[in-house]
Amino acid sequence: MAQAIDTTYENAVARRRNLRKLWLAFLLFPAMAILLTFVFLPMASAVWYSVYDWDGLVRGEFVGLANFQEVLFDARNNKFLINAFFNNVKVFIALMIVQNGLALTLALLLAREPKGYRFYQIAFFLPVILSTVIIGFQWKLFLNPIFGLVNTLLRNVGLGDWAMPWLGLPETALGSMILVNAWHWVGFPTLVFLAAIHRIPKDLIEAARLDGASEWMIARDIIWPLMAPAVTIIVVLTFIGSFNWFEIPYIMGGLEGAPAYSTDMLGLLFYRTAFGSVSAGNSDFGTGSALAVLIFIFIFTFSTIATRYLTSREVELS
Amino acid sequence: MATIELRDVTKDFGGVQVIHGANLSIEDNEFVVFVGPSGCGKSTLLRLLSGLEELSSGEIHIDGERVDHLPPARRGLAMVFQSYALYPHMTVFQNMSYALKVAKKSKQEIEAKVHAAAEILQLTELLDRKPKALSGGQRQRVAIGRAIVRDPKVFLFDEPLSNLDAKLRVQMRIELTNLHQQLQSTMIYVTHDQVEAMTMADKIVVMRNGHIEQVGAPLELFNKPVNKFVAGFIGSPAMNFFQGKIISANEGAYEAQLDNGAQFKFKTKAGLLNAEDKIDLGVRPEDLQPNQDGSGKIVGKATAVERLGAQTYVYLSSPIKESMIIHHAGDLDVQSGEEIEVSFNLESCHLFGPDEQRIEFDG
Amino acid sequence: MKSLRKIASMAVLSTATFAYAGTALAQTELDFWSWRQEDVKAYNEIIAAFEEQNPDIKVTFTAHEATSYNTILTTALAGGAGPDIMHTRSYGSLEAIAAPGYLEPLDGKIDLSALSADELLGTTLRADGHVYAVPFASQTIVVFYNKDLFEQHDVALPETWDEFLAASQKFKDAGVIPLANGLADAWTMEIMSGAFLPNFYGKDFFGEVTSGATDFEDERFVNALEKFAALKDYMPQGYEGVDYATMKQLFSAGQAAMFVGGSFDIPTFVSSGVNFDIMQGPAAEEGGPRMVATWLDGGYGVNAASENKEAALKFIQFTATQPFAQMLTDKLANVPAVDGADISDPMLAKVSDFHAEATPYIMLVAFRFNTPTGSTLLQNGLQELFTGKKTAAEVAADISAGIKSAE
Ligand SMILES: Nc1ncnc2c1ncn2[C@@H]1O[C@H](COP(=O)(O)OP(=O)(O)OP(=O)(O)O)[C@@H](O)[C@H]1O
Ligand SMILES: [Mg+2]
Repeated sequence: MAQAIDTTYENAVARRRNLRKLWLAFLLFPAMAILLTFVFLPMASAVWYSVYDWDGLVRGEFVGLANFQEVLFDARNNKFLINAFFNNVKVFIALMIVQNGLALTLALLLAREPKGYRFYQIAFFLPVILSTVIIGFQWKLFLNPIFGLVNTLLRNVGLGDWAMPWLGLPETALGSMILVNAWHWVGFPTLVFLAAIHRIPKDLIEAARLDGASEWMIARDIIWPLMAPAVTIIVVLTFIGSFNWFEIPYIMGGLEGAPAYSTDMLGLLFYRTAFGSVSAGNSDFGTGSALAVLIFIFIFTFSTIATRYLTSREVELS
Repeated sequence: MATIELRDVTKDFGGVQVIHGANLSIEDNEFVVFVGPSGCGKSTLLRLLSGLEELSSGEIHIDGERVDHLPPARRGLAMVFQSYALYPHMTVFQNMSYALKVAKKSKQEIEAKVHAAAEILQLTELLDRKPKALSGGQRQRVAIGRAIVRDPKVFLFDEPLSNLDAKLRVQMRIELTNLHQQLQSTMIYVTHDQVEAMTMADKIVVMRNGHIEQVGAPLELFNKPVNKFVAGFIGSPAMNFFQGKIISANEGAYEAQLDNGAQFKFKTKAGLLNAEDKIDLGVRPEDLQPNQDGSGKIVGKATAVERLGAQTYVYLSSPIKESMIIHHAGDLDVQSGEEIEVSFNLESCHLFGPDEQRIEFDG
Repeated sequence: MKSLRKIASMAVLSTATFAYAGTALAQTELDFWSWRQEDVKAYNEIIAAFEEQNPDIKVTFTAHEATSYNTILTTALAGGAGPDIMHTRSYGSLEAIAAPGYLEPLDGKIDLSALSADELLGTTLRADGHVYAVPFASQTIVVFYNKDLFEQHDVALPETWDEFLAASQKFKDAGVIPLANGLADAWTMEIMSGAFLPNFYGKDFFGEVTSGATDFEDERFVNALEKFAALKDYMPQGYEGVDYATMKQLFSAGQAAMFVGGSFDIPTFVSSGVNFDIMQGPAAEEGGPRMVATWLDGGYGVNAASENKEAALKFIQFTATQPFAQMLTDKLANVPAVDGADISDPMLAKVSDFHAEATPYIMLVAFRFNTPTGSTLLQNGLQELFTGKKTAAEVAADISAGIKSAE
């Protein structure tokens, strides 16, 4: 008798558990479906494409890893690959210093709530919500060597010697684009950093101040370590963004990374390879997909390692 | 080891004044407790002292030296926060040594000081832990340890025990008192807790709405509260007040009538009160007793009775006063709903004039 | 004029006659795809003329977005859903769809006699020698010049390289930008080179370099690059960052005296109102040739998988005739590939006259079949040359090596 009751009870529990699983599956279904259709499927198809020979858009025979070999080791391709890769590296380093460094400085300043800080907060964030395409074109106009705002201003303040064809010189083109990108995005890390700073209890900072720490020491010893989660997010996002950088260089320097490939990026190289361009030749889905797969593997591996490493130094705010 | 003096200190936040001309002097090695209702400015006053807030006007002197222009760290104070404010990413050792590190003290000196403080506070075992792995009481001790290692002239505590459970609070209270004895330094302590205030303080500062109402030794405040507010605030349970008015004033001799009709006579300085002035007569619960032959008598119904064995609290309701409370040492066999008569002696009462200031009986 | 009236009266007649029959006849419907969105109206008029003569055929013209046209077209053809007739690009881009067999070979099926061998080159698949599209129009590189500025500063039209440099210097001294061109859009550098390089490397170089008899490290080519690089002194200040839009703006606004561009730029300047004319690039030496670089813009092809091939070929035949060419120049201001059209627009007529001494636009015509293309190599080489990053010899060596690696 007692046993019978136990089984019913267990059955009831099991049934409830199953129902809950079903409900969870039901809730997860749309997200999974979207993920599957728009993330995993294209990724899988890129891998699939990359092992075939392609004549334009027509699939040829299975070639194994030949496309990868061509991308990585063929002297015709890999000099572009190496050039583009190091340009992406430069972009990442420069954005880390310029964009995120500026964002951190701004966040530290704004966190002290100076007069009108709400206005500044909005002002810094405003460019983030503008379309990248518009910003690219806008700054291309601003940087026009003859009619552009930048050179006009420089001439007007007596710095005519500094007026330069910013986007035309291999020495300045990439830097100009990086600055434009920083201008465009700086509000985002600023906001993330600011939110992270606001999450730090005020007491901690006051305690440090009473302990005799200077503002700089407070930033270094207290705020910085306690912002670690935000820093992790921003570093990883900057990394991914830098290696997927496309719109700004595409709009401001064109598909060929003008001038003379000084602004060439992996993304542009991929586009040219896969889809061709009016002057650069015909599309090749095979090597293009192989390149895309390689870029993905690189970004995925490094951002995973970075996330792991950075997360390990985070502390919970109790 | 420091004297502190506040002169006409005021503070306003964006036009709202929260400290109104505070004057206060604190002796060397004194244990001073700030009490007052929530929002009265205790923390603000403490923060003004520490330098975390800037004065709106007035002066602060420590050991005779004016400090209100100095940054917090240069005032020789240490503060223990209610939240402890331990650095979550540092170990106990790092938390305690941070100030010394900032001050560029030698490694040996840091080690020595931290270990000495840890010894006092029984933290030696915990030095390598992060705050997350500590109990509330341990965190509290680390916060205190962090203050101790700096050898401050003055310790500031802002409700340091309020997050602890009752038992731990009692224990920490005793430890803090001992610590005070041991360290021989000036301590300023903010609390809501009557018992803490009464037991720990050399001197209590009672505040209300940004004003310092009274400063004095605990029993001085208990026995001679300067106004109705202090009288009501100090002592637990709180004093019972009976309203009444002066019916005749004749030189120094007055006659007053309470709202229940009871009349009494008293003497005090001439001209202090006039006829028709409203007065309050304060009677502490322990001075309001049944079965005694006092000069004032009240009949009421017991609405609630708390019999704790060693003492009894009776809540009374009567036509003249909605509720009053009686504190009887020992057991009292009263049932809820029962009518009882209580009485008090005028000598043990506190009289407050129309401006709520204390009026001293004169003989 | 006479012929036009004839067509018109015929049109009226045929509409009247076949109005009833037209609806009764089983009509063959043809899809016609193009990237010329701006030409929809003109094409519909041209098609209407064709349909009047061929009431049993109905042609629907669809224009796609220009930059993605190649992708759209190849995708559709690969999926078996392409149009019956289509605008094709020329040279390398034509091969991309001709080589996989998507296009119907036309030689032998229609009469191509109204087209020259040079023009047919642009629509011929090199692998099998068959013609896969009827060439429709050519583009030509010319030097635009501002007549007012030349007059105002009393500068004679330069005919030789030395005169060109002297004229430029004169403008520069007068504070006028001699040449509006810049480097920012790499393809405009290739265009610009088309006006100068051929006159330096001469008539024979193209044949020799395409046949493999010589390569781009040839002394003639290196010399041409060296000479050409001298122009950077006469380009706008900050020319490295001057893009296509800015160049046109400089010339339209009368800030620059000359601009090297394509015949496709003519309408822009006509509508801008600047008082301009065109000339060929300067001769290398007194009495030397003044060649203009030309290339075929594209052609009309037939889908090999079309179910209405007969009707489609009929329409394609129509595009290879004089009346079509006449409408093309009248309605679309093109220099038609098909002979015999009477070019009424004076500017176009001038371009057409320049063709007496034409030279193929070298990289587009002959080196856009493999990766890296000659265009890419030349464009980036020119950017390096004009920014002083590399010498003419180094650039020539890079181009040569790139072309060889692509073979
Ligand atoms: N930064 C500030 N800006 C504006 N008003 C403040 C600020 N800090 C405190 N106040 C106000 O000053 C008054 C005194 O606050 P304070 O924190 O000193 O009170 P308290 O006595 O410590 O209260 P509690 O017992 O609740 O801690 C309150 O009315 C409070 O709202
Ligand atoms: Mg407080």
